[in-house]
Amino acid sequence: MKNHITKILLITLAGTALICGCRKSETFPVDKVTDYFVFNPLDSAGDAAHGYLYQIYAIVKNGHNRVAGDYLDAASDDAVSSKSGTVQVRLMATNGVNSFTFPSGENFWEETVATGIPANSGTPSSYWAGIRAANTFITHIGAVPVKGQSPTGVPMRYVWQSEARFLRAYFYFELVKRYGGVPLLGDKVFALNDNVALPRSSFADCIKYIVNECDAIKDSLLSYPLVTPDADNYRPTKGAAMALKARALLFAASPLFNGGNIDAANPLTGYTDFQADRWTAAAKATQDVMNLNTYKLDNDYKDIFLTQNNSERIWIRPGSITTSVEGTNGPVGFAVGGTGNTSPTQELVNSFPMQNGLPITDPASGYNSSDPYATFTTPKRDPRLTANIFYNGSMWLNTTVQTFEGGQSKPNTNIQQTFTGYYMRKFMGLSENSTTLVQHSTDWVVFRYAEILLSFAEARNEEEGSPQDDVYKQLRDIRGRAGIDPGADNNYGLKPNMSKEEMREVIRNEWRTEFAFEEHRFFDIRRWKIAETVMNRPLTGISIIKIGSTLTYNPITVLNTAFVKKQYLYPIPYNEVAKNPNMKQNPGW
Amino acid sequence: MRKIILFLLVIITMLPFLSYGQGKVITGTVRDAGGILPGATVTEKGVAGNGSITDSKGKFRLVLKGSSNILIVKFVGYSTIEYHIGNKSEDIDITLASNNQGLDEIVVIGYGKTTRITSTGSVSTVSAADIRTVPTANVQNALAGKLPGFFSQQSSGQPGKDASDFFIRGVSSLNANGNKPLIIVDDIEYTYDQLQQINVNEIETISILKDASTTAIYGIKGANGVLVVTTRRGKSGKPQVNLRTESGLQSPTKTPRFLDAYQSALLINQAQANDGVPQEFTQSDLDLFKSGNDPYGHPNVDWYNKIFSKFTYQVNTNLDISGGTGQLKYFISGGALVQNGLLRDFPDPRGQVDNGYNFNRYNFRSNLDLKANKNLDLRLDVTTRFSGLNSPNESAASALSEIYDFTKQTPFTAPFLNPDGSYAYAYSRFNSAHLPTLNARIATGGYQNSKRTDYNVLFNITQRLSFITEGLSVTGRVAYASTEQFTRGTGNYDQIPSYHYDPVSKTTTKNPTGGYVFPSQYYSGNINIYTTNVNTQLFANYDRSFRKSHVTGLVLLTQSAQTFDANPFLDPNLVGVPAKFRGISIKGGYDYAGKYLVDINAAYNGTDRFAANHRYGWFPAIGVGYNISKEKFFHDALPVFGLVKIRGSYGLVGSDVAPGNKYIYAQNYVKGGGYNFGTSFTGIDTYYEGALSNANVVWEKQREMDLGLDINMLKDNSLSLTIDYFHNIRYDQLITPNNIPEVLGVDLPAINLGRTQNQGFDGQIGYHSHIGNVQFGTNLVFSYAKNKVLFMSEASPSYPWLARTGQPINQPFGYHSLGYYTTADVAAINAYQSTHGSNAGNKAIAVPDNGEVIQPGDLKYQDLNGDGFINIFDQRAIGKPNLPNTTLGLNLQASYKGFSISVLFQGSFNYSFIVKGTGIEPFQSQFQPIHQQAWTSANAGNAQFPRLTTSSSSINSPSFFPSDYWLINAKYVRLKTVDIGYQFPSKMLPWHLNNARLYLSAYNLFTWNNYNKYQQDPEITSNTAGDAYINQRVVNVGLQLGF
Repeated sequence: MKNHITKILLITLAGTALICGCRKSETFPVDKVTDYFVFNPLDSAGDAAHGYLYQIYAIVKNGHNRVAGDYLDAASDDAVSSKSGTVQVRLMATNGVNSFTFPSGENFWEETVATGIPANSGTPSSYWAGIRAANTFITHIGAVPVKGQSPTGVPMRYVWQSEARFLRAYFYFELVKRYGGVPLLGDKVFALNDNVALPRSSFADCIKYIVNECDAIKDSLLSYPLVTPDADNYRPTKGAAMALKARALLFAASPLFNGGNIDAANPLTGYTDFQADRWTAAAKATQDVMNLNTYKLDNDYKDIFLTQNNSERIWIRPGSITTSVEGTNGPVGFAVGGTGNTSPTQELVNSFPMQNGLPITDPASGYNSSDPYATFTTPKRDPRLTANIFYNGSMWLNTTVQTFEGGQSKPNTNIQQTFTGYYMRKFMGLSENSTTLVQHSTDWVVFRYAEILLSFAEARNEEEGSPQDDVYKQLRDIRGRAGIDPGADNNYGLKPNMSKEEMREVIRNEWRTEFAFEEHRFFDIRRWKIAETVMNRPLTGISIIKIGSTLTYNPITVLNTAFVKKQYLYPIPYNEVAKNPNMKQNPGW
Repeated sequence: MRKIILFLLVIITMLPFLSYGQGKVITGTVRDAGGILPGATVTEKGVAGNGSITDSKGKFRLVLKGSSNILIVKFVGYSTIEYHIGNKSEDIDITLASNNQGLDEIVVIGYGKTTRITSTGSVSTVSAADIRTVPTANVQNALAGKLPGFFSQQSSGQPGKDASDFFIRGVSSLNANGNKPLIIVDDIEYTYDQLQQINVNEIETISILKDASTTAIYGIKGANGVLVVTTRRGKSGKPQVNLRTESGLQSPTKTPRFLDAYQSALLINQAQANDGVPQEFTQSDLDLFKSGNDPYGHPNVDWYNKIFSKFTYQVNTNLDISGGTGQLKYFISGGALVQNGLLRDFPDPRGQVDNGYNFNRYNFRSNLDLKANKNLDLRLDVTTRFSGLNSPNESAASALSEIYDFTKQTPFTAPFLNPDGSYAYAYSRFNSAHLPTLNARIATGGYQNSKRTDYNVLFNITQRLSFITEGLSVTGRVAYASTEQFTRGTGNYDQIPSYHYDPVSKTTTKNPTGGYVFPSQYYSGNINIYTTNVNTQLFANYDRSFRKSHVTGLVLLTQSAQTFDANPFLDPNLVGVPAKFRGISIKGGYDYAGKYLVDINAAYNGTDRFAANHRYGWFPAIGVGYNISKEKFFHDALPVFGLVKIRGSYGLVGSDVAPGNKYIYAQNYVKGGGYNFGTSFTGIDTYYEGALSNANVVWEKQREMDLGLDINMLKDNSLSLTIDYFHNIRYDQLITPNNIPEVLGVDLPAINLGRTQNQGFDGQIGYHSHIGNVQFGTNLVFSYAKNKVLFMSEASPSYPWLARTGQPINQPFGYHSLGYYTTADVAAINAYQSTHGSNAGNKAIAVPDNGEVIQPGDLKYQDLNGDGFINIFDQRAIGKPNLPNTTLGLNLQASYKGFSISVLFQGSFNYSFIVKGTGIEPFQSQFQPIHQQAWTSANAGNAQFPRLTTSSSSINSPSFFPSDYWLINAKYVRLKTVDIGYQFPSKMLPWHLNNARLYLSAYNLFTWNNYNKYQQDPEITSNTAGDAYINQRVVNVGLQLGF
């Protein structure tokens, strides 16, 4: 029996050793990063926390070919996509979307194409993710003892915190201009069990929130001139906060929201009344930026997009140093590449005046329809036409661009080519006379000083009974920089003593020409409520027949657009309305 | 062969000579389909007590005492037979047919065994001898139709990748990975992947455990059912050697048929005419395609037959030796399997690599049992498997999917080779990539070869503690399993040279996408499987009978640590981090006189996937049974019943499979890409918040209820029936909530939310009998499992028909077809749109809202919400999930003397699939015969296919508009396996052979299905092109020898 007991003991011991003997190794993967690491109370350099802030910056979109390979303005009356098949911007321009299929490239709410009902699609790059990340940062950064302070004496962690607040305000504004009022979350970082089925805040409250945030943070941000512009040029500054406020107030004062609410009594889709002093507020906000005396117009229009840290830039989303804009949008048929994604419309081309500042429809302008781009004749066209658009006869890579039927850049073969007879030129490097493409920065200029001037002009024109000289002055400055001749009266082709309505048209046209492809036109035709007109007529291009050396210009229709009233605002994503009983859909969707 | 026929004749002529003989000495051999059967009982009918047991060679000797001249031969797991001796007395060969419904049939369950008569749980068993001759490389392929409650789908026939997916009692979890049954081989957990490497020859039995009573012992891993495999072990006796060698021809179950160049060209012209664009081919083109007079300018190549051969072969050889002395018993086996692919041989002109599909596998096993002393047993099992899987470089050319792909090449695109022998390329507007022809790319595109090794070692020590109390023993066990696979592949850096030959100018032009010489090749290789699993167990077993009572008990401590390579469901950072599992299981059983049965099972176990305070759970179950046929009153009243047992079980089991990130409980910040900022655009490290954590995450749970009935009746229990009804509720399922607004701004974790119900029934009815010496048997296996989503945290849909809750798991949704738009419909749409500006609000006829213009002959769908548009809001449940909810298997077998035949019909019912993309859509797929039935104004009445169009996103596309027009409510019946054998009589056997059997077997021999829209195999994965490697039909000849 004793023998047996020993055996039992042995077996039990062996078994116990088997079960308990192995050492525990890596019960939790040590390569995982926890929040303690990110917001570390011992990290005076704040490296990981700063990395968190960088991720929020990264959510800001770079607009180059942003919407599934197209510029957003290819969904406006300025351009069409050259691509075939299902194209997001074309679906948007032809009313081919619904609350479920709304294109991912413009779905900043979900930032993805929902693949089914129901769907859960959260990604770290939607604007709601940005707002959450900013809130997390704002809440936690106080615990990180970051050393250093700004030149104005603000401790660095509060500079960073203000930058996060700026980004949050910017994300809200990008949502509000698309959807109207959205839920305002405050500083709260929602946890898994919190109730997130929040109702939308009113449009008025959203604008108020954005404006208040800009006011609150502007003095704790860095300000121009930056001490180290090479390292910090992407950071929002005091000027950026004020520019965001100005843009928000300009949108708020615009007809779509101020008196022209598409659902008159609905506080979510705009103000339920008209108040003229909203224009006053917008004018004041722009005036404040001008009063900073920090910014001035770049002398060279093309240079704004190429030279970093130039005086006109207020805030940018940095882009790499490449030739990607040329590769994606440059005219086809060149050995260095160019797939010509963007086909500017005849409507955009026609909006550029002559160099004397007179619109081409003015009989006195000297416009010659048999040489529409004034390649061979004078007066020339507004130099911004050449800077924005490749037309037949433009210079590119030391060659003349041929967009006549069968020409080098419109070969009419199977390859993708322009639909309209034009290619986009803007944002590209100065490769007119070289044989190779020049690499350059592809920063996306979010705010630039010309916008402040034009916003000021627009708001002042609406504010007053008739346009005052301060309206004219901004237009003269912008046109002068663009290369329009001052003319004998030094009025850059502007008709003196215009009525408010005449001036409004001039300003709107100036927006169109000056800011082509910069994601202004798409929203401008909405906030002015003219999309139902301009997007309900066919967009056109030009078919150029070359016989010998004679060019014949035949207008052609390239896209039959469609716009119904509901499109003034985007639909709240279908799944969001389904998930949240408090989420009111926009009218018509 | 002639000899056999001769022998057959001799036997038949001898039949009438019957004689009676008392005192006659009878000798013979008892076998089953797999070889000799030691230990079978042979008794003389009518003389109680006159019997004998077969020796280690299966031989018996018996002196007849009565006058019946009939032997009764019995063996556990086989139908008892009565053998009419006739006038023979020597070398009588008796073959037993297996029967899993016998009363004493041993049923393998978790950590133990039970019998049909005393089991309270729901278990289905198949003896491996039954499936050993099925000519397939994977054990799970051979189980379809054999086991009640077993559902399988074989979606590929590629050598080495042809294992079926299988589920026990269907699926219950919304978590896609949460439905895989636990696989236990000799009490050690295996992966799916490891199971398919096992050689059937090494297997003794296969059971599936289906209810809580049998799976609760596995606790947190038991909710999906358990497949239990035991391997063969040696038996005392002289060495017995078995050699089995077989070779078979493989051919596709279904060969796709594509239209030739002429017919394709006609349809292309037809589609272009429909779209109002210029037609591609002139009449002279068409004439040349038809006549074939211009084979280079107007080629007409049947690519399928040029690329694939009609047959290929496979070879399988196994050798095993088993036996034992008093102290040592052994089973040692080796096997080799070679499977070739259907691809024709396209040698690489550089002559370097094997670019065909093929698979070979070598299995070795040694199972040793050592009786160290009276009470101490040791056991050592060592297994290893080596395999090699070869294929063409799939990134260069996946042969079958490219055969379907119209955009890669067409029948008229290029000749097979140019006149000068150079490779041609796809010279057509429809093949925009202008790739070299498929034969060229297969030949030169490189290859992939995966070398895999599996190791398994199991060491076991059992000490009987009968000195403490009779029936008690304690066992310790350590098992280690690992798998390694390395893949080497090569491919071209650039396109190979190819040329277009112009028969008019007799010149060749180089393909601009390729160079003049073969490009250099890249190498891609990596260790793509590396898993280890260490499992230790310590358990005490108690098994003792007291008069009429029988008591069993088990206490088990187990723990395991598994590491995985990168697999698609796991965060790649978790490679090599061990997943640990630990637990204690207890089991107690009591039966009184085999009449009243109670089993209690419970496990307390957990894994480190969950937070420390949520790691362990209890999983109890109870099973009871009542053997009413053992009651005297019942037996007296209804003696026809040998067994009537009702049983029931109820319990809780779990599933610890968590989707995605294994450590859901811990919040994780992700290191993002280095974003570039600043003038110099320098990369800066970033961090962002990963999916939210769920601190309370726990395992999924399933409440299982099972009611069963076992009946054996008639003489010798020749008719048997088992039927089970089950009702399971799976709750706390780990799913990502669908009802939390995106405003939250961060990814959500899986939360224990989902709830589904799964219920159904399964069972089998068997009848085994004999007429004279002709034995026959039939077995019908049936399974039905229907699930329903009870809760999936679904957002409230805007229309009730969009709701997924209440539907089965993986219910397809799509549009409801109303036929085709007529000319009148299109006119009405145009009229409405010209007055209203758009079709919005047109309640009469809707159009798609993606900008596609409708024409007569396009598919018309029901506009459920009446807004005038066909869009996602009009999709409703159509058809059924892809996994069949009903399967049937009908096994018929008969044997006479040495001849035996066994056929298995297997059918699956109640499932749906849609083929899309390159499988069916014109201008994506090659043109198929069905496209000739497309709608035209002339045949509008009997069109079988919508109007042909060149648009890929039209309403006629099943990719963009899934609908019940495209959906097949499918069913199929297969002649799944056939086995015809002849057992050579002992006296014909030369040398020392004691067994010889020649057999013809087949797999997937015929298939009947109910659709003709598609050419794909019925086991297709829905919503794919169905262009996976075609499932194979195998016809096989084998010879089995024993000595």
